[in-house]
Parts: sequence; structure tokens; C-alpha cells
Amino acid sequence: MSTPPHGAIPPHPAAYRTGMADAVLREIAGLLDRLIGTGEDGAIDLRSLPMTDADREELKSRLGGGEVRATLDVAGPSTVEETAISGVWWIRHEGADGCIANEQIAVTRIPPILITHPDDLSLGAARLKDLIGADETPPKQETAYEQG
Amino acid sequence: MSKADTLGDQLAKRGVSRRAFLKYSAYLASIMALPPSAASALAEGLAKARRQAVIWLSFQECTGCTESLTRARGPTLEDLIFNFISLDYHHTLMAVSGEAAEAARHQSMQENKGKYIVIVDGSVPTKDGGVYSTIAGQTNVAMLRETVENAFAVISVGTCASFGGLPYANPNPTGAAPVTKLVTDKPVINIPGCPPIPEAMAGTVAHLISFGKLPELDHMHRPKAFFGETIHDRCYRRPFYDRGMFAKSFDDEGARKGWCLYEVGCKGPIAYNACATLKWNGGVSFPIQSGHGCFACASPNFWDQGGFYKPLSASVGMSGSVIGGAAAVGAAFGAGAAYLARRRKHTIVDTVSAKDK
Repeated sequence: MSTPPHGAIPPHPAAYRTGMADAVLREIAGLLDRLIGTGEDGAIDLRSLPMTDADREELKSRLGGGEVRATLDVAGPSTVEETAISGVWWIRHEGADGCIANEQIAVTRIPPILITHPDDLSLGAARLKDLIGADETPPKQETAYEQG
Repeated sequence: MSKADTLGDQLAKRGVSRRAFLKYSAYLASIMALPPSAASALAEGLAKARRQAVIWLSFQECTGCTESLTRARGPTLEDLIFNFISLDYHHTLMAVSGEAAEAARHQSMQENKGKYIVIVDGSVPTKDGGVYSTIAGQTNVAMLRETVENAFAVISVGTCASFGGLPYANPNPTGAAPVTKLVTDKPVINIPGCPPIPEAMAGTVAHLISFGKLPELDHMHRPKAFFGETIHDRCYRRPFYDRGMFAKSFDDEGARKGWCLYEVGCKGPIAYNACATLKWNGGVSFPIQSGHGCFACASPNFWDQGGFYKPLSASVGMSGSVIGGAAAVGAAFGAGAAYLARRRKHTIVDTVSAKDK
């Protein structure tokens, strides 16, 4: 029995297109109809589908680029982009190491991760009050004279 | 940090926003095969949960399982799981040692009665009264029984704790046993693998914390989200198998072209695990993608399957020449090989059941 040759990494069929992009486009169309009809959001997890890199590129190219692009710095970078199809968003979450942690198509008026959570609102308000309180503290006159 | 605070409160004090929960939950939902819409519920569940007390027991093991979890990808995203748990006892990671360490275990058991999770890595030696592995003068069997008595659930990480693993291999000199053989009155989740995939460990713990219940398990106590399909089912080389295109050695034309590794011993058809989808080292690769067959390291008795480089079909009476001839008929062999693989899988499962009786 031979042993594996060092460094011999076989090709990965990442460059092949499988037709999966067509299937996903049809699913997106169904989710968009549902959003219009019932207001219910939808999402497709792209990493769970047996899509090749070429499939993903094809899908991205056919959906095109839209008017909104947001970048987030939350436990690593994330990008949220609306495609040329209004209400269809391409969301990509990365870990701090730059590896893709999650990639999904969201069919919604606005992705929830862009909306400020009520708990964060309260915290923000408390921080702002602290900030204002700190600004209103009068400077120590003695220190000012000593420095001047 | 108070254990009474919710995880959302605790992390907010450290500047972690609810967006981080949502992002982590989107990631968890993806790896746990939950619908993407479940991410919001998962995030809310995690934010409202209390920090989960965890006692980690290491028995006959190599510390590879701990290495796998602590070297999970990240750092910031995967590290969130360590904010969700209070790791009250772990030989390798805890700062204290000796009597202070054992006191910490007992304190956690007392304070979190009925709520704490016990994670076990390593098999448990039972022969000769369990004397082959002791901690603080206590046998592993005794420590396990004492610790799980008031636990909420037990998670066996790694193949040793799940199925016996290497210590269980013939002739099993220490009488090594898996946790499920010793713990029969508590829910036990098996996350096998040598080592297990870190995302499978983190995802299972996160599921327990956010939903307060066990994930769906199969007949071997494994979470279906990670062990519901074989490596073979999701292998990118599967099309070659279906066409009967096999590497005959590790340096022939088939190997160089990335054909199926079934005939050089790949155990993918009997290996239930998520390596082909989650992969390793931050999603870089997995053994088959790197040119080597799967060992089925997450399967029972993987050390006793008759050789890592023997085809699955060989050990159930099929000669090499028959394999070669069958391969020539292409796709038809795919079905035949799959049948043989199923037979082999059942043989392995039956063997384990018989050994455990």
C-alpha cells in the first residue's frame, strides 16, 4: 500500500457551476412574494447548500448590487448589502480571523442586525447621560492656575 | 460578574451589543441546520439565559478534545461560548489545583444542584475496581457517579467518552467503558470524534443554554444536526464514487485527479459526522479534501475496523480483484458498495452492542 505523497492536495471542484444559482433565485422569488403578501420575512442559508464558489459568484452577479451597503464591526466584520432586487439582502458574517462564519440571503425590508435592539437603546441613553454629567463637572480652578 | 445577571446583562457591561448575539446566533443556526429565521429566537434565548455552570471531567483521554474546543476558530465569535458558561472545574484549564480544585467542583455541584452540565472527555476504566485512573484518590467511576447525581445533563465529548475510543480497543486492558454504559438515569449527549468538531461542542452547549432542552438526538445519543449524515453523503468527491472512479493508491492518476478514496480505505460511508460541511481549521479543509481517506474517528470501534487503509468492503469478504472488477462497471458499483458499506456499518454497530452487553 502506498502512502499519501506529501503536499499532494487534489483539486476541489469549486470552479464548476451546478445550476444551484437558478434554484436559489426561484426560492428567493417565492420568499419575496410571501413578504409582499403577508409581510413575513424569509432567509436562505447559503453555507448549508452544496453550492460551489462558482455558483455563489453566479448568484451574486445575477442579483446585482443595490443602493445600500453597511459594514459592521461586531465580533469580526460583517457586510449587509441590498441587491439590485429591493428587499433582497446579501449578508456575510466573518469571524475575527476573516473566515466566513455565515452567509445568507435575507428577504426583508430591513435585516434585524441593522436595527438597534431596545436593550442597547437603554444602555446608550445611560451612557449619554454619564457623558453629559461628566461634561458639566466644573474644572478645578487651582489646577488651571498652576498649569497657566 | 454575578451569576444572577442574564447573559445579555453581563455582556452588555463589557460592551458586547445585542448585535453580537444576533450574529453568533445566525452562525449557530447555520451550523445546527436550524432555519435562518431561528437566529432571532436563539439570540433572545441566549441573552435572557443565566450563565451555565459546567463541570468538565477528564478521564482516560489525551486532552485533544479540550485542545479542539479551545482552539476553535475565532477568536471573538467562537469565544462567545466561553462567556455563556461558567467553567467551574477543568483539570487542564483551571488555575487552582489539588484540594482547592476538588472544593470548586463540590461547590458548583452544591450551588447549581439540578442545573449544571457535566462534560466528560475520555473513557472510564472499570476493570479491577477502576484503579487504572484516579483523580484526587478517587476512581474515575466514583467521580463520575458522584458528579452526575445532581446534574441537568451529561455531554460526552470525543469518541473515548462516547464509545470507548482508543482505550476501548482490543484487548481493552483497563475495561474502558463509554459514559452511556455507566450513566443511565440522566440525559446523555454524545459528541464523538477524535477530536470532535469544536462547532459541534459549542453548538450543542449553546442549544442547551438558549432553549433549555436537549437538541434532537439519534439512536446513539448524537445531535442529529451534526451527525445526521455521513461524510460520504456530503463529500465533494461523491460524484466520482457514483461513477465508479476510484484512486487505487495515494500516488496514482486517480489520486492526483481527486477521485474517490473508497478503495484506499476511506470510511466515509459509515462515518456520521459534519467534517465535509463544517471542515477544520476555520473551514480550510478536511481529511478527504487533503487527500486522505476518512478514518471514521467518530464511529464506535474505529480502532478495530481491520486497518485504516483497507476498503470497507474488503473486511466483509470481498477480495481486491472483485473490487477492481466491480469498479469497472461504474455507477452500478456505487450502489453495491453502498450496500456493503451499510452491511459493514451494521456489523460495527452490532459488535459494539454485543460488547456492551
